[in-house]
Amino acid sequence: MDPILLAVYILLFPGFLFLLAYAFFFQFLDRKIAARMQARVGPPLLQPFADFVKMLGKEVIDVKGMDRKAFDAAPLLALAAVMTAFLYVPIVGNSPLAFQGDLILVLYLLTLPTIVLFLLGWLSRNVFATIGGVRAVTQMFIYEVPFFLALLTPALMAGSWSITDIVAWQQSHLWFAVLQPIGFVVALIGLQAKLERTPFDIPEAETEIVAGPWTELTGRRLAMMRLTMDVSMVVGSALVAALFLGGPRIPWTITPDWLSWIVGFGLFFVKTLGVLLVLASIKVATGRLRIDQLNDVGWKYLASAAILQVLIVLLMNYWWVSA
Amino acid sequence: MSELLKVEQVAKAMEGLGTVDAMKPNRIRVATTPAKVKEAVQRALKDLKCDHVVQIAAVDNGKSFELIYNLTGPHHTVVSILLELPRDKPEVPTASDLLPPAGLYERQIHDLLGIVFVGHPNLKRIILNEDWPENEFPMRKDWKPNPNTFYGGVHTEEAK
Amino acid sequence: MTEVVVPIGPHHPALKEPVNFKVVADGETIVRLELDVSYNHRGIEKAAEQRDFVRVVPLLERVCGICSHSHTTVFVKGIEEAMKVQIPPRAQYIRTIVAELERIHSHLLWFGVAAHEIGFNTLFMWTWRDREAVQDMLEEMTGNRVNYGINEVGGVRRDLTPEQIQAALKRLPHLEDRIAKYRDMVNKEATMMIRFRGVGKLSKDDILKLGAVGPTARASGVDYDIRKDDPYIAYADVPWQVITDTHGDVYGRTLVRIGELQQSLQIVRYCLENLPAGPIKITTPRAAPRGEILSRYEAPRGELVHFIRTNNTDKVERLDIRTPTLANWTSVAVSLVHQNLADIPVIVAAIDPCLSCTSRITIVNERGKKTGEMTWDELSAHGREFYRKRGRA
Repeated sequence: MDPILLAVYILLFPGFLFLLAYAFFFQFLDRKIAARMQARVGPPLLQPFADFVKMLGKEVIDVKGMDRKAFDAAPLLALAAVMTAFLYVPIVGNSPLAFQGDLILVLYLLTLPTIVLFLLGWLSRNVFATIGGVRAVTQMFIYEVPFFLALLTPALMAGSWSITDIVAWQQSHLWFAVLQPIGFVVALIGLQAKLERTPFDIPEAETEIVAGPWTELTGRRLAMMRLTMDVSMVVGSALVAALFLGGPRIPWTITPDWLSWIVGFGLFFVKTLGVLLVLASIKVATGRLRIDQLNDVGWKYLASAAILQVLIVLLMNYWWVSA
Repeated sequence: MSELLKVEQVAKAMEGLGTVDAMKPNRIRVATTPAKVKEAVQRALKDLKCDHVVQIAAVDNGKSFELIYNLTGPHHTVVSILLELPRDKPEVPTASDLLPPAGLYERQIHDLLGIVFVGHPNLKRIILNEDWPENEFPMRKDWKPNPNTFYGGVHTEEAK
Repeated sequence: MTEVVVPIGPHHPALKEPVNFKVVADGETIVRLELDVSYNHRGIEKAAEQRDFVRVVPLLERVCGICSHSHTTVFVKGIEEAMKVQIPPRAQYIRTIVAELERIHSHLLWFGVAAHEIGFNTLFMWTWRDREAVQDMLEEMTGNRVNYGINEVGGVRRDLTPEQIQAALKRLPHLEDRIAKYRDMVNKEATMMIRFRGVGKLSKDDILKLGAVGPTARASGVDYDIRKDDPYIAYADVPWQVITDTHGDVYGRTLVRIGELQQSLQIVRYCLENLPAGPIKITTPRAAPRGEILSRYEAPRGELVHFIRTNNTDKVERLDIRTPTLANWTSVAVSLVHQNLADIPVIVAAIDPCLSCTSRITIVNERGKKTGEMTWDELSAHGREFYRKRGRA
């Protein structure tokens, strides 16, 4: 692809600038939906952006004796990871950076924020921030296995490790949400757990206002980390939309190229917003799980469901091939 | 529904401990002495079937201190056990072994009036701030705040 | 045996008022609890001795924000008893209406806070929104959402117009609906039941021995409610029931409070519909004759007692207040023993503390001589960690 066009793709649209704007928009919608369900009014449209700008200007407080450089760098690392992950998800047509195995790369990059949270908890020199960080990683061990399995089953069926190919496969066949409903549900629940939202907000929200790995984050570090979480939500939703809901494509080809791009973009919007609606509803309708309950839910139900789904996919593949 | 206690019942139970009179249909008072108060409380709990301590009121009536233990039970009558303490030596045996909530109530009275409850396991500050000066009992009638004493909080010189 | 002293210091981000209590724990189990409630002490009892009755009433209103009407009502009814006057029935009914509305808004507030403790924020938002209906009623009737200022010695200060009565009656069906829904929710919602059941359990004997009052006591089957035991204002005329439960744990206390909400709505409706005509106050003498009154009242949190000594002047000689939360603290201390640090937030919240409960916990490990700090929320988090370990083991 032409290097200038590639630069525009990466930096502006549908790359970083669009991603940041969309992340703020997602946060606004999430808060608005939650507020309406809770009989409140909710924030205005630009609230997340205003919060971000305000937080950038706040004082950064350093804990005595902590490794300042590492503490500064860690949120940026997390943000960079999730923003990079976004580039491989098809938003308008194909992703120009697609390659075989980019699904694995995206999944890997999406785990980095949780690792960074653990790192921040460790670096904070605060016993309870450390506990919060350990909580986050423990939770990751529980939900990550079913989440990965659920996201890999589309790859199994489509026969490719590239997200773009999987999306293309869905254009000529059915959506994976229809073919693999169990996987779809597991992926949604896993996504909620990855984003550490209720009912899976054990690491941060029971230490509600100030605690857990987020305790010693202030000022621009906090702004970056929160932005990372927002971007994570966008990337996760886009990923689920791409893998299960057919991404920015519909089964019919539209002839003028520019029209197909616009339609594709519109589809991307609609599908990711649909995923957001489900995630927001789950967040509002439940109370927090205790971590032993999470253990139950994760291993007994989610993991078994995911493994079941993998088996079904393997059987279906075999049946189709031999047919 | 239980019947209210009658004065005769209370007088019989509190025999030898003091005078009994009915202040209201549902409030009967027993006037006793510091030495006999624990016995009176014990009898109220056992014989009069009181099972709930409503309040331990403490009054400075100018001449002496008065303590009133108010107990009630399923009969819905308040049995008030009253005793007087001399001003210069306000000591009385603690009731916290018979009435566990008295543990807190007696600490509060000690903080505010300076009555010493002999045998109390933990007569520490509860209602006044921890840097309140010793031996200043604000609810006593003859107590006036001394402008030169520091009663806690921020030192005024520091505030400048 | 490592004894860990957990001094809960006065400042705490998540809750309402400051208190300092030290929890001495042996590992995870609590051994005893020590208390220091000096942070909100304002010398009100001493101030009351220097003010005449008219000026004491606003002072007492500000003892507490949520039970302000309780404090003024118990005081003025005590003074009225000392003066041997009877206030007109209309005034009694109006006092009852405001008292029950106060109980409703206090219980709804508690319910929201309890839901918030277990992370169920949606319920918190809903109950507090319903509380707004009650606050609107109170504002229309008394002019204020807290500190209503409706009591005075001899009656009430404001009358209820027929329009106000109709407006209030219109709001009641909605509240009755919502509370029925909450009752269903408490019985069916798994998250709430798990955090509430079995926690802070106290038997009937323990409750009586420890002197607990109010819904905390009634949840263990103790049948004491001052509105029935020593009736005052209009409670003897209105048909209503005392709500008790036998569970004895936080779940039982929730059920009692919801039952009381339903009863209170019934009482308010009855009083609004049957408000007797007549004056709303009488002129009382300026001074009260010498006497001693023990005035008791069922505040939302339990039994509130004012011990009043009058001495032929227009001031009290002694006003001794015993608040329900102070009576309940001993039961908290004991119910926490043998429980886990994990359950501190839920158990303390279950007595609905009005006195204070803001805490930052400093953990002193006596053997290792290490210190660390925990906020209330970290303690809640610690609670989850603890339950996880217990679930696994």
